[in-house]
Amino acid sequence: MKKKIGVYVCHCGGNISDYVDIEKVKDAVKDEANVYLLKNTLFACSDSSQKGMVDDIKTSELDAIVVASCSPKLHVPTFRGVAARAGLNPYNYVQVNIREQSSWAHSDQPTGATEKAILLVKAGIARAAESQALTPIKIPTTNATAVIGAGIGGMRSAIALADMGTEVYLIEKEMSVGGHVANWGNLFTANINGNELAASLHNEIKKRPNIKLFTNAELTEKKGSIGNFDIKVKSGNETLPLHIGAFVVNTGFAPYEPVSGEYHFGEYDNVITLPEFKKLIDTPASELVYKGKTIKKIAYIYCVGSRQDEEGDNKYCSRYCCTAAIHSSIQVKSKFKNITNLHFNRGIRTYGKQELHYEESSKNGDIYLQFSLDSIPQIEKKGNKTIVKVKDILTAGKELETEADLIVLVTGMVPRKNENLTNQLKIPVGRDNFFNEIHMKLRPVETVIDGVFIAGTCQSPKNILETLNSSMAAAAKANSILTKGEMSLEPTLAMVNPAACNLCDNCFEACQFDAIVQTEYEGRKVAKINVSNCKGCGMCTPVCPTDAIDLADFTNAQIESMIDALTE
Amino acid sequence: MATINPEFGKELKKYGAFDYNACYNCGTCTAICSLSTETDSFPREMVRLSTIGNEDDIKASLKPWLCYYCGECSSNCPRQASPGELMMSLRRWLTSVYDWTGLSGLLYKSLPLSILAFLLTAAAVIGFSIRENFDLERIMHVGHYFEMIAIGSVFTVILLPNIIRMWWFVIGKPKIKVPAKSYFKALGELFVHMFTQKRALGCDNNQFRWFEHFILVIGYLTLLFTTVFLDWFSSSNLFIIILGYIESIIVFGVTIDFVSSRIKKSKEVSKHSQPSDWFFVIWLLLMGLTAFIVRLFIDLNILEQNSWMYLFHLIILAQWAVIIVPFGKWTHFLYRSFAMYMAKLKIQS
Repeated sequence: MKKKIGVYVCHCGGNISDYVDIEKVKDAVKDEANVYLLKNTLFACSDSSQKGMVDDIKTSELDAIVVASCSPKLHVPTFRGVAARAGLNPYNYVQVNIREQSSWAHSDQPTGATEKAILLVKAGIARAAESQALTPIKIPTTNATAVIGAGIGGMRSAIALADMGTEVYLIEKEMSVGGHVANWGNLFTANINGNELAASLHNEIKKRPNIKLFTNAELTEKKGSIGNFDIKVKSGNETLPLHIGAFVVNTGFAPYEPVSGEYHFGEYDNVITLPEFKKLIDTPASELVYKGKTIKKIAYIYCVGSRQDEEGDNKYCSRYCCTAAIHSSIQVKSKFKNITNLHFNRGIRTYGKQELHYEESSKNGDIYLQFSLDSIPQIEKKGNKTIVKVKDILTAGKELETEADLIVLVTGMVPRKNENLTNQLKIPVGRDNFFNEIHMKLRPVETVIDGVFIAGTCQSPKNILETLNSSMAAAAKANSILTKGEMSLEPTLAMVNPAACNLCDNCFEACQFDAIVQTEYEGRKVAKINVSNCKGCGMCTPVCPTDAIDLADFTNAQIESMIDALTE
Repeated sequence: MATINPEFGKELKKYGAFDYNACYNCGTCTAICSLSTETDSFPREMVRLSTIGNEDDIKASLKPWLCYYCGECSSNCPRQASPGELMMSLRRWLTSVYDWTGLSGLLYKSLPLSILAFLLTAAAVIGFSIRENFDLERIMHVGHYFEMIAIGSVFTVILLPNIIRMWWFVIGKPKIKVPAKSYFKALGELFVHMFTQKRALGCDNNQFRWFEHFILVIGYLTLLFTTVFLDWFSSSNLFIIILGYIESIIVFGVTIDFVSSRIKKSKEVSKHSQPSDWFFVIWLLLMGLTAFIVRLFIDLNILEQNSWMYLFHLIILAQWAVIIVPFGKWTHFLYRSFAMYMAKLKIQS
């Protein structure tokens, strides 16, 4: 069928026309099949040009348009809008990039740039001729969310979601809520106790009828896709089926456990970890005593299990430990008399307001010594004395030693081992083995699995403030998708022609998003696309031996005709 | 291997240091110091040695004496750790370390003890005058000889051994090999710095303070010479009489400015005064002023009727000679110039 195609070649001020000979381009494509109208524009994106296009489409009853201007990243939404306003299906518009790909890339060779632009425009016309009208796919969504993990982050997510009108199922593995924080005493910068913080959030949860809390519970089954997941939650002996639209995963961290012998941990009885030390100073007593010995001099060794060398897995900084250790050292000094704190660190990272703690501790007379990874502090026993030796960077690498009654290993965070959940949700993990977001700045709480959001320390080490920030961000993101009751997906998805499909398995292997399922067609088993999982990546189309799979808006017919035009 | 000694900080604070623990080793103080060099870099290093309490390294260091306290480091410190005042405190501490009698340390650390020492000295002078029935001529005669004897004995008994101790901490104990002829070659350095304080000119915007200090030192030394060796109070030589007047005016004139800037706390250097600083400038002022008035009374022929004036001058002089010169701030005159001398020796080692 012959189509009426309108072609617009843009000057982009001089950005294109200074190097690409626009008249030559027009001349070369004017006789192409299907070209009904051919115009050049000074700025295709300007209001007047857009209006002109709308008029052209209406008066000439165009079937498709081609805009040869800049990168599709910039103006595809603009010209899709033009098409829609003129009553043309937006997918009958094709963008050709003759600025980034021609004039800018080949500004030193105007002749070549013009030749390339001609081919690109010809290919665009060929693609437009094969274009089809498509409609975005609408799927209904359930305004309910499963929040996994009822630590302070999970509880905060649940409260935020509930207040925005989303039904929340809060699923906690342990018998009680609050996670690690519930076991902690005084918390830095806030001057509140961990158990109080957890209890106040728990109270808020109880006040909200649209939050259902399951303790001693875990996710046992997950089916479906964004907007409509069918899950099963096992709580105690009961298993409940639930229908939800999204997940907020807030499963937290595990404290790093030093390996046996690391700084003589497990060998010397006065070498303990930071969590153990926090517990020790939280117990009410007038004197600091550990294993029957009065403690006066405390050596803190930083970055244990974090920022490791080539041999260790944990390359990252755990972010909270510097401040937590300094905070504890201030606590211990204010609670007990004649305490001396010695901080063996690798550079103090008390960023933001936490810096005030560092300053307070320094002014208290705490001594900071800095070591590098190639010369870590050595701990020795001399009789019943424990000696710490260090090459102090701040004293020009001088070797210093001190006696210490207690050695506190400032341990960081590691990802919590939770194979069941990882298998169920298939959230990818990063090099640090924490769950991975799509983009740390632009899409910080979304994962590549649509409908699965992550927050808190299951994503990366965070302090409480950062955990709560990301928990609320994830809640807002989940709610914004579910609250409308339906969501539209790009129609650029794979399609299976069941008549041609022999169900060879190739496409199942190629698909990374579990978007291909089996179905029945005329008594045969064939492949089918689950549209809510399909990302339109196109990995399945080239592996199909019978060409049974096609990708909408990038059909085989379109691509082949473009190749023909380019190789003419 | 040195042992970390957190207790050192407590001791040093008795000499005036405060809050240097707040240092987070950014090095701004060293970067901004116009006297610090790559080989002799301070004050951060001294702050660090104080923090970890490395007494041996501080004793062996001349750096506290190489600082002339412009105060730039303290006013630019992001942690208000006052590195400048720490250097000042280290000079006080070193003075007490060099002093074999241990009296310097006691006087620096205890104001009541210092006051007691001043009162006892005054009582001794008054007691002596009572024994002499306030015979002015006799008292002035003894006073004149007292000056000579005090200068000689304080130098040989206290100051010379202390300078030898300083040499021991800086060069002897760390086993720095200095060729014998260097000790002679470097003597020039000693005298230049003793009489000009040339190094202080290296401090930014310090020309006026250096000039004041310079004429004060010259005024003080020549006044000492004029009274002791030219016997100003008994002289009838017009030249000597006028010379003495000029010198004493310089001494109390300049010290009035020093005292007032310490009261006004206008500059970093004058913000944190310890009792030892007050004693030093006030007694210097009183010495110049009382000497001036005594000679004025002689010339007006009214000293006989006002012999208390000479007694007052003698009390000030005695306190200066037996307390401030051997055990107080006066010693910086020697230690600063000997530090420059020993720094030269270390270079030639």
